[in-house]
Amino acid sequence: MSVLLEVKEISKSYKLKGYWYHKREFNALAPVSFTIKAKKTLAIVGENGSGKSTLAKILVGAETPTRGKIYLNGQLLQSQSFKQRCQQIRMIFQDSGTTLNPSLTIQQLLDEPLTLNTDLEEKQRRQLIRMTLQKVGLLGDHMNFYPHMFSGGQKQRISLARAIILQPQVIILDEALAALDPSLRSQMINLLLDLQEQMGLAYILISHNLGIVRHFSDDVLVMSHGEVVESGKTLEVMRNPQHKVTQKLMMSQNFKLK
Amino acid sequence: MNLLDIRNLSIELDTPNGRILAVDRVSLSIKEGEIRGLVGESGSGKSLLAQAIIGVLEDKWHVHADRFHWRGIDLLRLSIDERRTLLCRDIAMIFQEPMSCLDPTTLIGAQLSEAIDTSQLSGYFWQRNKQRKKEVIKLLHKVGIKNHSQCISSYPHQLTEAICQRVMIAIALAGRPMLLIADEPTAAMESTNQGQIFRLLANLNQLKNMSILLISHDLENITHWTNTITVMYSGQFVEAGTTEQIFNKPMHPYTRALVDSSTKANLQLPAKSRLMTLPGSIPILQHLPIGCRLGPRCPRAQQTCVSAPKVSNFHGHKVSCHFPILRETVKKQPLKDKPVKGTN
Repeated sequence: MSVLLEVKEISKSYKLKGYWYHKREFNALAPVSFTIKAKKTLAIVGENGSGKSTLAKILVGAETPTRGKIYLNGQLLQSQSFKQRCQQIRMIFQDSGTTLNPSLTIQQLLDEPLTLNTDLEEKQRRQLIRMTLQKVGLLGDHMNFYPHMFSGGQKQRISLARAIILQPQVIILDEALAALDPSLRSQMINLLLDLQEQMGLAYILISHNLGIVRHFSDDVLVMSHGEVVESGKTLEVMRNPQHKVTQKLMMSQNFKLK
Repeated sequence: MNLLDIRNLSIELDTPNGRILAVDRVSLSIKEGEIRGLVGESGSGKSLLAQAIIGVLEDKWHVHADRFHWRGIDLLRLSIDERRTLLCRDIAMIFQEPMSCLDPTTLIGAQLSEAIDTSQLSGYFWQRNKQRKKEVIKLLHKVGIKNHSQCISSYPHQLTEAICQRVMIAIALAGRPMLLIADEPTAAMESTNQGQIFRLLANLNQLKNMSILLISHDLENITHWTNTITVMYSGQFVEAGTTEQIFNKPMHPYTRALVDSSTKANLQLPAKSRLMTLPGSIPILQHLPIGCRLGPRCPRAQQTCVSAPKVSNFHGHKVSCHFPILRETVKKQPLKDKPVKGTN
């Protein structure tokens, strides 16, 4: 299977306040490279401040990398061309309650990416919204509701609908499963796995929960202080953790694979 | 001896459309020196129950109980003031977000010394200040903060979340409580810090014989630390028993679904296979189903489930269900493997 997303030597550093002739820099992300294939999931684990979210922001285009290149389907992604990137790489955030605009109905919310990125007629857009809502397990009539009328799990489904409505190839889940209740979380995991199978999506999962990482991902990157300290197939890394950070992480969750 | 013994506690809420039964006849007992987990998803009334125990609910909530004993003393017979002084002395509580519970405008040292009661100090009034300071440092050492001088002279926003939670625990320990109620002490904390806080609580339990009521929304996170677990669902009692009973032989369909849906407990499942899950979502307070509130989502529901089930006791394993999953039926279903306790 061909490589979908290729990240080459991406790094990010921030300039800190300093004197003119000894400027200091803070390296949020040391050079990172990885590749993802279609229908595969890459998990990124690490502590707070290890650079996982910076990496996610760079991939989705919210930050520009200091150095490095991103290739999607072999094409170089320019850091300015949001149009192309918006359609192909989408992101879901942790707290779905605050990422939905409370003054818009679900239809208006889901309409926004369509009007900005496609040339569809109003009728077609409506049809597409209805279909996407049904795909994530809601009813088509839910599009006339406002976000506050939904429960937390349903809001997360709406965020997912907003992510998949443009038929993207990569979805970044930034702690998207952490704030959900256990029974809704397993529903969401099942839904995400089904969509991956149907639409051939690639996921980048950022998570703390090693149980979910084990179940959900094919490959894993362990990060610490902006550097990738361990990477490989999830099962192999978890069976035989080499680096101290990985071992500590697994210890702290009492996690052991036989 | 039972430290806390609550039988059939109900909490009602006044709304414009009449009273709503938010917590429906829940029983809870805590023995001396045990860690009891209280598990329930959001809206299950676990925090309400904790607040009702220490009596900090607002006036719009009405609490009733058939029995409410604290170390053999019937609290229902006492006046409110007497009850408050008794509970203040013996029970302490720590809350979900330590950053928002500490006073942002006061130094940590001042907040800690405020919590130390004057009756704990001895000596003349001019010696009190010195003693107080010593006591504060001792408390900080107790919760594992070694760099006490820096911690005392800093504001909450200058410390990390894990340290703030430790300070909260120190404030709770100042009154030397017999029972500590920890309401999701590690929510929104990263896993290495979570482990630290849980280990600290476990140490306190071992060394000081302090009982702990550990409240959490996630069953898989706390099973490693608890002796016994009570499970609640949308205001109703579901199941109670030792951690092994709950985790290895769940009798209630809801607990079974919780255990089966946990990715940590089902390490034998192949990656990317479907997880067991209950259909539907958690009912909101305004539209609670009658009878057993799990009814509409329950795979074993039958007609009798429209009336609330009674609690039945199987060797100390209490379950509130008309059709509990007994061991024989589990064996008949080879698809649902007995979950291995893979976390240990």
